[in-house]
Amino acid sequence: MNSELPTFAPSRRHFLRATGITLALPLLESLGGRVFAQNSAVGALPGKAAGTSRPKRMVCVGNMLGFHPPTFFPTQTGRNYELPTVLESIKPLQPEVSVFSGLDHGVKGGHFAISSFLSGVRTADAKGMPEGNLTLDQRAAETMGGATRFPSLALGSESGLHGGCLMSWTRSGTRVPPISTPRELFRKLFVSDGAAQIASSTDRLNLKGSILDAVQGDAKSLERHLGRRDKEKLEEYFTSVRDVEKQIELRRQWAHVPKPDPKMKEPNNKGFVSDLPLMYDLIALALQTDSTRIATFEIGGDFEANAFGLNGGYHAFSHHGQRPDAIAALVKMERYQVEQFARFLTKLRSTEDGPGSLLDHSMVLFGSGMGNANSHTNGNLPIIFAGGGFKHGEHKAYPEKGLGRQPLCNLYLSMLQRFGLEVNKFGTSTGTLSGLT
Amino acid sequence: MLRSPLLLAAGLLALAATPVSAAPNNAVVKNFLSTYCVECHGPEKQKGDRRFDELLLPAANEDTLIDLKDMMDQLHLGDMPPEKAKQPSLAEQKVFLDQVILELARGRENLAGTGGNTVLRRLNRREYLNTVGDLFGLNMAAFDPTTNFPRDQSEEHMDNLGDVLQTSGYLLDQYLEAADLVVEKAFAAQKKPEEQSWHFRGNFKPQQEMSRPHTRLKNAFIGIYECMDTPNHEGGFGFISDFQQGVPVDGFYEIRVLAQAMNRVHPYDPKIFGTDSREPLRLGLVPGDAKAGPLYHPQPLQPMLAEVALADGDPVWHTLRVWLDAGHTPRFVFPNGSKSARNSWVKIVEYHKDKWPADAKREGKNGLGIVENRIISVVEGKVPHIRIHEVKIRGPLAESKPPSPVQAVYGETALAPEAMRQVLHSFADRAYRRPATKDEVDRLMRVAGQRITAGRSPQEGLKDALKAALSSPSFLYLSQDTVAPQGDGKTRPRLTGHALASRLSYFLWSAPPDAELLRLAASGELTKPEVLTAQTRRLLASPRSDAFVSGFLDSWLHLRSLGSTPPDRRDFERYYSKGLEPAFKTETRLFFRDLIERDAPIRNFLDCDYGFIDQPLASHYGLGDLGDPARAHEFRKVSFPDSRRGGLLGMGAVLTVTANGIETSPVVRGVFVLENILGTPPPPPPDDVPAIDPDVRGAKSIRELVSKHRESPNCYSCHQKIDPLGFALENFDPIGGWRTSYGKTPIDSAGELPSGEKFSDIAGLKKILVKRQDLFAHMLTDRLLTYACGRRIGALDQVVVEKIVADLPGRQHGMRSLIEAVVTSELFVGL
Repeated sequence: MNSELPTFAPSRRHFLRATGITLALPLLESLGGRVFAQNSAVGALPGKAAGTSRPKRMVCVGNMLGFHPPTFFPTQTGRNYELPTVLESIKPLQPEVSVFSGLDHGVKGGHFAISSFLSGVRTADAKGMPEGNLTLDQRAAETMGGATRFPSLALGSESGLHGGCLMSWTRSGTRVPPISTPRELFRKLFVSDGAAQIASSTDRLNLKGSILDAVQGDAKSLERHLGRRDKEKLEEYFTSVRDVEKQIELRRQWAHVPKPDPKMKEPNNKGFVSDLPLMYDLIALALQTDSTRIATFEIGGDFEANAFGLNGGYHAFSHHGQRPDAIAALVKMERYQVEQFARFLTKLRSTEDGPGSLLDHSMVLFGSGMGNANSHTNGNLPIIFAGGGFKHGEHKAYPEKGLGRQPLCNLYLSMLQRFGLEVNKFGTSTGTLSGLT
Repeated sequence: MLRSPLLLAAGLLALAATPVSAAPNNAVVKNFLSTYCVECHGPEKQKGDRRFDELLLPAANEDTLIDLKDMMDQLHLGDMPPEKAKQPSLAEQKVFLDQVILELARGRENLAGTGGNTVLRRLNRREYLNTVGDLFGLNMAAFDPTTNFPRDQSEEHMDNLGDVLQTSGYLLDQYLEAADLVVEKAFAAQKKPEEQSWHFRGNFKPQQEMSRPHTRLKNAFIGIYECMDTPNHEGGFGFISDFQQGVPVDGFYEIRVLAQAMNRVHPYDPKIFGTDSREPLRLGLVPGDAKAGPLYHPQPLQPMLAEVALADGDPVWHTLRVWLDAGHTPRFVFPNGSKSARNSWVKIVEYHKDKWPADAKREGKNGLGIVENRIISVVEGKVPHIRIHEVKIRGPLAESKPPSPVQAVYGETALAPEAMRQVLHSFADRAYRRPATKDEVDRLMRVAGQRITAGRSPQEGLKDALKAALSSPSFLYLSQDTVAPQGDGKTRPRLTGHALASRLSYFLWSAPPDAELLRLAASGELTKPEVLTAQTRRLLASPRSDAFVSGFLDSWLHLRSLGSTPPDRRDFERYYSKGLEPAFKTETRLFFRDLIERDAPIRNFLDCDYGFIDQPLASHYGLGDLGDPARAHEFRKVSFPDSRRGGLLGMGAVLTVTANGIETSPVVRGVFVLENILGTPPPPPPDDVPAIDPDVRGAKSIRELVSKHRESPNCYSCHQKIDPLGFALENFDPIGGWRTSYGKTPIDSAGELPSGEKFSDIAGLKKILVKRQDLFAHMLTDRLLTYACGRRIGALDQVVVEKIVADLPGRQHGMRSLIEAVVTSELFVGL
């Protein structure tokens, strides 16, 4: 079994054996279903040992200013298309990557709509949707109920434009706060608590349990005096209590399971731009050690132009007004993003995962909720897609208008189905994405 | 021509005088619509997505009422019917409007009960902070237990709407965590630690970048070289290298500094620093937390705790008395310092070529590296900066301990079961803002009991019970208790005294009711209108109502979003170095505060000849010198020389929040005015409109780009209302500075409204807006009611809005009077 993970030998199972903990950990599937997939949460224990059939993974990477369309979208469609400037670095991976054009969510609002990237729904419209603005990753994470320590990981920067990461949203319309630096991510994934810390966190879980009992009683007596709509509102509170109770149970179980050893030293933070490759490496490690199977990553406000020696702001360059110098600066920053993404794909491809590579079992989406930042439009979003056992290699151009138009959510529905969910609708989908095999 | 003011007044009088039970004559409405409106809003065309031939009267649903309200607004605006179409006479309009108002009233009565009530609402984040601070007497300036809370949901920027604010498992978990932090902090403050003192002199090690020049200067002082908001953070935060661990416990500390202002007058080009050398250098003190990040970088929570102006000359001792949380260390800042020290070094060395090393280039481009530049500038140069030669810290000061409610309640004897019960009961009364029930106290006792059984001390048990109280829905949600409705059952249920006390204090203080409010609630006095009005005045007179001033402005004018699309640093450097963002907010808040205090007419929001500014704002606004440089950072009331700046539309806060930090859009600003000033939001744009793709290479101005709106009648029907308002504001750049051209293209800010009224610039537009002050009054009333009740004000509630607005002339349109009218309205005192 170790041969499946050649670089970072100890899988958790191996680890458990080595530390004398048997695999007879309690099955927690009955607790599954609604876990509030936050970074602070811990998911559930593995229900079953990893076999030859490897689990599916999902990684979604987005930026908040999109890509300059003329240097991103290929002019030819089909296979062997000529790569435009910004995409040049995917050359060695071209047969394993799909580039889509003509896909979007049909929303407007410029910066205010980019939060819809992974949901198809703007935060402002969430109330009217059956699943709110629930994002792709969180939809998948809801079903993780037992398999990994972290049902999902949200990464991204927390400053600058928009005031923070806007990638990942739960069913209740709350944003998943991101992990912003490699160091924080490393600690979360790989640094285990000491015995004293475990004892004190167990005690805190007990206290939380007692408090939840008490406040549930308060909620029940409050409910008796409420009208219908207030009762509905208070139901949110009851649901929250149940969610936290489940979470406490899962954390209790995980508290004694050591974290995997990544065979690397705790990194220092060097700034978002310089840390970009490291963040990708840690995502790859998180997938490889099965710490999580789902990750999102937003290249956001901390992606600063001055790290490129450019005089000006990223946001300002994106409003280039067709000035050639601004476009050149923009393209420089965008090329770097694609280069690092390509490096990440290469890493996944070279990592063995059961009978194939980690890339074979990981769906990787890369793009933006912004179509053209100069005009602040959210149509024709830039999308690159790789891995996951889909067939790749083409630039697929979908019609932006008319009967053949397909919402981007159709791709997301295809991804969720491939992830193993029995769903036939996600966000604004009208079906699965045609032409994807 | 503006057709409405008189008419509007007449309509409102009719409303006030006519009993709502009179049946509206729907035939009048239908006739009017088919004569003047259906041609464009009927079976053939549905301009603006509106169709009136199928309007069902009497109104059976809220949508119909919304349509009626819309028609009323359009007539008042004078925008509809369009100028070129057949016009109704004034008399016809009056008859029509009377009927519409009757129908609105009747519809509201019929539809009441199916909506329009405030939904059980939880505290939002800022209310939570104020509430726990109040309950435990904590100083919250640099203590934020809510940093991991999810962002509060808001709608139209209102962050306190009951049905919009959500509770999730994640949030509840954060409530549990925050309760822990709060209670532990409150109890830690109970201990009475000994006063300590520290003395620092020499061995001041700066951040790494500055270490070489400071080594040459023997690390003899802390040097502060730039303002706080710079691109590179080089010498902007002076910290005590031997005191990074900070103070051991919360408390007031006396901090004595031997400070010296250096080189206020310097030999360099003033542009290098962007400062005004007439101003005395200002020394500020902010807290720093080494665990939160490097002490030489800005930190998320760094309130200015003290500020002094330094005279030139020899070092002078200054004594500052500040609150510091445990683990926080004082950091010294230079608020009117250079815009960027790092970027200045290379320019300063040009003045000191004699100090260059022999091998450095003497001509042309400076061949020195940043390290050399820095050393020469700092060691040899005459850059303006502040030196701190010695620091003495003493504290926590024993006499300064604030009287803590926790202290009052939890003596050492409080731990026997009966005493503990009393403690918990009295705490729960305050935390739940009403008398706690026996069951509730039982449950808190059970938590304490379980913890004691598990081996914790009684004090730990008590603390854990308090944490439970802070996680209870009785604490987290505002009470909506009502008294049993009387009479015919059609009247709105009224809030109980305690629920009303909470509604009032969260409206005006964003905090729980104080002892006086709770006493009046318990006695039932509070529900009397005259008592309620007196309490409103009392709360407004308290500085705690700053929470209302900022909370309401943030919601109404979207000022919470200020800075969420940060202005470009290169083009708008002064936004950062001059602290314009906080100054903008202060300006708008002082203006609003002043209207409340003077009970001055609300039309001042639309146009007036005064404002509240400091010197950086005066310079930014092109208003010149305000006099005495030593007072440069004091805000004061000034009279403006012309009509550009008076009122909201001349304020930097509004002008910046309606731009994206890079460029302005007349469409965005026009929509803002329609939505938030006139209260007549345009419908959302139809699908499939191509967006504007800015191209600044050619001479195409924004006006030319937007002129496409004129080419299509579909676009034009809405944009004729939107675009002129925005064009009038084009003289203001993305951070509210005055401009007369974009590069070489001159700005044309003239426009014509659909009513036919023309203006040549912002001053002219403001004159027109003042004529529409009744629309503004409706909008402001609607926003105040929304914020006050914590719910949307729907078409069903328009009658209440109308009534408040109708009474305004009798109250001289006073701002405070309007707030009082809101508080005594049936919406506020009812469910």
